Amino acid sequence: MENKQYAYQVMFLLDNEEVRAQGFNATRDWVRTTLEKHGADVKVLRLWAEQALAYPIAGRKRATYLMGWIMAGQETVSATKREMYLLGPVFRILFLREDEIPEDELGIGIEDADIDVPEEIEEEYIEEYITGSDKKKDAEKDAEKDSGEDSEEDSGKSKKKEEAEGSASEKTPEPAVAASNEKE
Amino acid sequence: MTQEITKHPKRFDYKDIETLQRYMNAQGRIHSAQRTGLKARQQRKLKRAIKYARFLSLLPYGI
Repeated sequence: MENKQYAYQVMFLLDNEEVRAQGFNATRDWVRTTLEKHGADVKVLRLWAEQALAYPIAGRKRATYLMGWIMAGQETVSATKREMYLLGPVFRILFLREDEIPEDELGIGIEDADIDVPEEIEEEYIEEYITGSDKKKDAEKDAEKDSGEDSEEDSGKSKKKEEAEGSASEKTPEPAVAASNEKE
Repeated sequence: MTQEITKHPKRFDYKDIETLQRYMNAQGRIHSAQRTGLKARQQRKLKRAIKYARFLSLLPYGI
């Protein structure tokens, strides 16, 4: 069977934890060696973006996009995908067959990049931090309010209560007593 | 009320998220061909580009 070579545009979605641990260039080299092992001729491999994901993948909210242009046969695509999904720090792989590799891309080649991958902040931690601080603030505010109100209003309230109780006892007799009075 | 998009790009690229988002509603669904005003072949290319972008988590599947 003839092993015809095609031009492919490839996009890899890499795990930020691995990129941070090993460095971007080491991760890119691993991708390159894996592609070449399966018979691909890697023309371009460069950082496309490090950005937030539209939806979380494997608990990650950010990831690194690695873009490449390769010349490869059809079998290379499936073999590379199989190995990378099993072993590598790769969340997603997209191979798109194109007519030719653009010249401006060919000029880039295999590019080094120094990127600072930000650490993943867990959502629970953020929620706890926010709600915890808010709760503390609210509790402090409530305590301040209570202490202020108590000192001012306590005397007034107690007087009012006493007055109300006194007037109630004078004006309205208890229902059982009232009923017995009516019968007599 | 449907509002047709008058200027279309020559080619839909899955990496061009801003352009693709013009053809989606707030819930992340793709507008119909009647609304986009695209021919059938172009509408299919748009659909494919959006689906590639969704697969790579560049666009959400739904909001």
